[in-house]
Amino acid sequence: MRRLAPSPTTRVEVDRPVPFRWVGRSIEGCQGDTVASALWNAGVRTFGRSFEYHRPRGLFDLEGEGASQLVAIDGLPNQSAGTTALRAGMSVSAQNVSGDPRSDLYGVLDRFDRWMPAGFYYRRFHRPYRAWPFFQNRMRALAGLGVLDTSSPHDDARRSELYLNADVAVVGGGVSGMAAALAAARPGVRVCLFERRPWLGGHMDWRVRETRGERLYERAHGLAEEVAAHPHIRALTAAPVTGIWGENLVTGFQNGSDADGFDERHWECRARAVIVATGTIERPLVFNHNDRPGVMVSDTAWRLARSYAVRPGMRAVFSVGDDLALEAAVDLASLGIDVAAVADARADGADPELVAALERAGIEFLPGYAASAALGKHAVAGVTIATLDGSDERRFACDLLVANAGRQPDIGALSSAGARFRHSPHTHTFEIESLPADVFAAGRVTGLVDAEAIETSGRRAGLEAFVHLAGGLGAAFPSTDEPSVYAELTKIRAYSSELPGPPAGCGILHGPNLGSGRKAFLDFDEDGTWKNAVQCAEQGFDVPELAKRFGNFGLGPGQYRVPGQNVAMAMAQITGTAIEEIRCTTVRPPLIAPKLATVAGPNHDSYKRTPLHDDQASRGGVFRRAGAWQRARYFSDDHTCRAEIRNVRENVGLLDSSPLGKFRIYGPDAIHALQRVYISDMTKMKPGRCKYSAMCNDTGNIIDDGVVVPMGRDDYYFTTSSNRAASTVEWFRYHTRYDGWNYNLVNLTDTLASINLAGPRARDVLRKVTDADLSNQAFPYIGYREIAVGDGIAARCMRLGFVGELSYELHVGASHAPHVWDLLWSAGEEFGIQPFGLEAQNALRAEKGHVIIGAESEQRVTLLDIGMGWLWSREDTASKKVGAPALRACQDQPNRMKLVGFRVDEGGGSPQDGAIVVDGDDILGFVCTTRYSEALGWQFGMALVKERAIGDGDVAGLEIYENLGGRPRRTRATIVPPHFYDPDGTRLRS
Amino acid sequence: MTPAGPGALRLERLWEQRPLKRSYDVIIIGGGIHGLATAYYLAKEHGIRDVAVLERQYIGFGGSGRNTAIVRANQRTQENVRLYDEGLKLWPILTDELDYNLMFFNCGNLNLAHSEAAVNAFRLSVNTANFNHVESELLDAQSCKELIPILDVSDKPKYPIQAGMYHPPGGVLRHDAVVWGLAKGAAEHGVDIHQGVEVQGIDVQGAKVTGVRTNHGPIECAKLGVMAGGYGAEVCAMLDLELPVHPLTIQAMVTQPLKPFLHHVVSSGAYHVYANQTLKGEIATGAHMDPQVNYTTDATAHYFKHQAEALTDFMPALKGARFLRIWAGLADMTPDMAPILDGNVGFDGLYLDLGWGYFGFKSGPVAGKYMAEFIARETCPEILEPFALDRFLENRYMGETATTMKYGHWD
Repeated sequence: MRRLAPSPTTRVEVDRPVPFRWVGRSIEGCQGDTVASALWNAGVRTFGRSFEYHRPRGLFDLEGEGASQLVAIDGLPNQSAGTTALRAGMSVSAQNVSGDPRSDLYGVLDRFDRWMPAGFYYRRFHRPYRAWPFFQNRMRALAGLGVLDTSSPHDDARRSELYLNADVAVVGGGVSGMAAALAAARPGVRVCLFERRPWLGGHMDWRVRETRGERLYERAHGLAEEVAAHPHIRALTAAPVTGIWGENLVTGFQNGSDADGFDERHWECRARAVIVATGTIERPLVFNHNDRPGVMVSDTAWRLARSYAVRPGMRAVFSVGDDLALEAAVDLASLGIDVAAVADARADGADPELVAALERAGIEFLPGYAASAALGKHAVAGVTIATLDGSDERRFACDLLVANAGRQPDIGALSSAGARFRHSPHTHTFEIESLPADVFAAGRVTGLVDAEAIETSGRRAGLEAFVHLAGGLGAAFPSTDEPSVYAELTKIRAYSSELPGPPAGCGILHGPNLGSGRKAFLDFDEDGTWKNAVQCAEQGFDVPELAKRFGNFGLGPGQYRVPGQNVAMAMAQITGTAIEEIRCTTVRPPLIAPKLATVAGPNHDSYKRTPLHDDQASRGGVFRRAGAWQRARYFSDDHTCRAEIRNVRENVGLLDSSPLGKFRIYGPDAIHALQRVYISDMTKMKPGRCKYSAMCNDTGNIIDDGVVVPMGRDDYYFTTSSNRAASTVEWFRYHTRYDGWNYNLVNLTDTLASINLAGPRARDVLRKVTDADLSNQAFPYIGYREIAVGDGIAARCMRLGFVGELSYELHVGASHAPHVWDLLWSAGEEFGIQPFGLEAQNALRAEKGHVIIGAESEQRVTLLDIGMGWLWSREDTASKKVGAPALRACQDQPNRMKLVGFRVDEGGGSPQDGAIVVDGDDILGFVCTTRYSEALGWQFGMALVKERAIGDGDVAGLEIYENLGGRPRRTRATIVPPHFYDPDGTRLRS
Repeated sequence: MTPAGPGALRLERLWEQRPLKRSYDVIIIGGGIHGLATAYYLAKEHGIRDVAVLERQYIGFGGSGRNTAIVRANQRTQENVRLYDEGLKLWPILTDELDYNLMFFNCGNLNLAHSEAAVNAFRLSVNTANFNHVESELLDAQSCKELIPILDVSDKPKYPIQAGMYHPPGGVLRHDAVVWGLAKGAAEHGVDIHQGVEVQGIDVQGAKVTGVRTNHGPIECAKLGVMAGGYGAEVCAMLDLELPVHPLTIQAMVTQPLKPFLHHVVSSGAYHVYANQTLKGEIATGAHMDPQVNYTTDATAHYFKHQAEALTDFMPALKGARFLRIWAGLADMTPDMAPILDGNVGFDGLYLDLGWGYFGFKSGPVAGKYMAEFIARETCPEILEPFALDRFLENRYMGETATTMKYGHWD
């Protein structure tokens, strides 16, 4: 179709064609079009099919509000045609239908509404119950809107993230939003402004009406230039707000162009104050077939013509309820569109200037009339308009029916910011009842209509926000121009009161002669009709929140916008309740639906690598995530790690244990803090020796273990398990918070790497890289020495034995670690040194009966239950050890779970970790860790079992059960002490 | 109700609204599925019909209407498996008894393991389930992919998928339908349901509960059930009964509806995610609890983003879906993640059914069934014995989770 002649408000370049495809056909739009404006211009009237009844749906609004105008673009479903910028080569298709939406086999569903009252599916299909899966599968097949191409990772967009801080965030870049930003911004006050359209200007961007000697769009353009040039305002366009969350966190996304370096960007802005200037949305008029393609709200028709130079229709009829729509009718007529009649649901109150203009344009004006039905099977072919009492009905032929029931504030952003609303009998809208102290509203969202009042309310909100931030009127302001701000605000407050306030609104909800309302839609998204609303009330779901859930009003893609206020008004009317007593339903973010890919952003995986990562990788390390770290778990495909284990038992192995928690604690009260959190008596530490102990929580569960070494006066070095490293400082501080103790904690976990050299040849290896005396006498088991490695690298060296062999743990500066690792590697070559990973360590330590917290401990067992009660300094109550009261309380309790060792009986199979211990029908416990040990020649394990499984001291057997989804396997095992390998510890000590 | 608009009222109310009396044999505080189920079974199984369910807002306002309605019985310990297994088997029976389609979608649940430790934990749960004749199976990563083709089982995700625990008897329901169906059933058996009635105090004489004070005046009762979900501990505080229950905010969200492609519930502890596709086509997803104790139901931008990152990392096709709506509710967490089911606690006639945390939905009917028995017979049914409040005093936690819970202040 030929475009309208460009005007100063036109936002497209009609001479730059953009080719694209619609349901397989080639079509042309032009540069600046949205998908919807291009389709409409090409004569496409049916954009898709509705959710439940498969009714044809077209372009109801251009703001992306609702399912009707959702299309699939290049395999991506549920894209808003109204707001998605047209790009060359796009392939656009309709949803909920295959192929061209003008015909749809399922369209027949539209006739079945009689058998589909609100909530009908809860009363059907379940008898007999065995029939239900059949119906359920049919229902599933019919459900859903778009088709997601699940074979694609949808990964081609350039994604970005932006995290902003602002003193004032302004939501909405219309005239009031811009005025607010300009009033608030100044040195020291940074303003961010977010506008969902690609340009600033709001609804004045397309209005040519003249007020005070200036056309409105000129005013809007002027302000937009000021905003763009302002050094303290950052304005994001094409940037819809998804929500205003706690502590004024404003979030949204932004669609980029080729020039931007991103296609879509997730942004968040933490603001000290927020100004909401989101304007209004038109309240849909409810009448029969109000969803026919060709029915649209007035802004849509108007913007098609004014912003996109698209002819919205050949012959238009208006059935509206506000002055702006009258202005639209006058303006469309001036652009050469045939406007046959304008019905205004308000019997009086219309702007006389506009009424006169209608008259001058030769348009029939019908106050007190509203549409009763749209005519036409697939698209609007006419309309019946009647007086509100239905007595005088008239019929018009038209292909465009512009309809609304007036306007309502777009309360979504305000609602998510914590505002409360109450229905006003004057404006017939849900008006702001209260706002949080740091949230301000401006412009049409406050009900204003007069252009000067709108702009002034913005300036006022900007100043109010500024003054709020400065500490209120009369506070000592930080910068020099505040006295003038104070004066300005006082002046503008007075001036505001002289300007026109919110005018009376239109109170009607539905058109005349509605009948049962079975084809009059309150919710287009999920096909909720007036009749459905009545049915909700009949069944007891008679308040908006219940009707929303039972009748699916406002649960579709358009959320609160289209049905929101209408559902509340409908429930009030149907139940005969005063609307003032009705609360509208809660608005849930996101206010505009963002793509998951956009919200996720580039989704960087951040993890920690030890300084020895690369070397281990080059030696075949297989890495696994362990807390924040990537750690080598295996060094071959053999996940039982036989070779790694054997080499540690027979020769010598190297383990990177760098994630181990490493801390310094010092200060006069350090020892008191240690006494508080460790369960042992920590006063008995000796220089040059490691003290092994554990920490418990308040319920006596072991939560950490490690060693503590005295380093000097009031100065200690200690280690924690890797996954406690992050919370250790907080743990100390929390449990000493009332004591006022003087101590300092330093987390050295990342500063120092840790290398564990373990195996019978460990001494031989270490000896080659240090001059320190490593003899058993000079450096015995449990000893601690500070030694120099290589050409003088300082190493903290602990002789420990977690894996059950002679071993040295070397803590060295992280930057030195690769060098030390290399030194040990070269030194160890002649002794057969090999790396080992976490799984080998796990098997080795289990052979020794050493527990790993979380593997051999859990919530049901205390330190005592897992056989580590020997660590507890029982008599010490003065230190108030964390966990001691719980240990004391349950130390003599019968029938607790206990940790036991077991040996699988000869020929008894090889159960796995997680097998359960059973007795008859009862589960007595479970296997924590079990392995076949080459060193022992049998399968051993540790299990947590109820005490009665242990018996009275005689040799007790365990019945181990496994069934992972096939046939059950049962294994017999015998309880043995959990010190399987080298029970006397001679290998550790030699 | 007088209709002022067009359209005649023809359908029946789902449940009859009767006047509020001054006295009942049993009062249940909380019109969610636990309260309604208890009332339903009291009237149906035990002939106790003089029962009122008092709901401060409207039925299903709290956790019952805000959860993601996932049901399963593959719990970690035997005492839990028994309870949840019976609960799972109740859905078809209730659908029939209530003559209300609860929309039980028996799609099975696939839980993903991303570490060796998680695989071990799954083995324990699978063994425990099968030992108790509850179907459960350990799958390798490739078999997971066959069940849910959109899973990325490569090494690319942050937490690569190692294995899965598949539980065919599980699934999802329509949570609101369960609330409404139970309300319908309870009312048909004579139970009074009163919305907008807020309990503001509890009356006791000596050590016996005698009634409640409400915004609609005092109401007497012989027995009182506290089944108020996230607000249960607050109700008990009126009796100076301090419970080890922490209310935490839990959030959930749905995407815009899409044609079905996810045919099972999928969940992952490492990603902190569960997701399923509803009958309507939305991907419903949740799992996160804000770690601070609080009574708000505010959703957070942080979680919104987290969920997008998590879902798209191991199910990349979801990058093309759009989030539609996020909401939050309260979860009443106990230190061992198991509920408190007890009677005559501190006061004769006081019955508690709370502290369900994550598990309040799937347990609703079965807990109601046995709580009704408890209230009617005044002795604790054997199946509920492990859930007594005393266990916290004796430091005998239940083993529903392996790790010790961390929320609120330290421990």
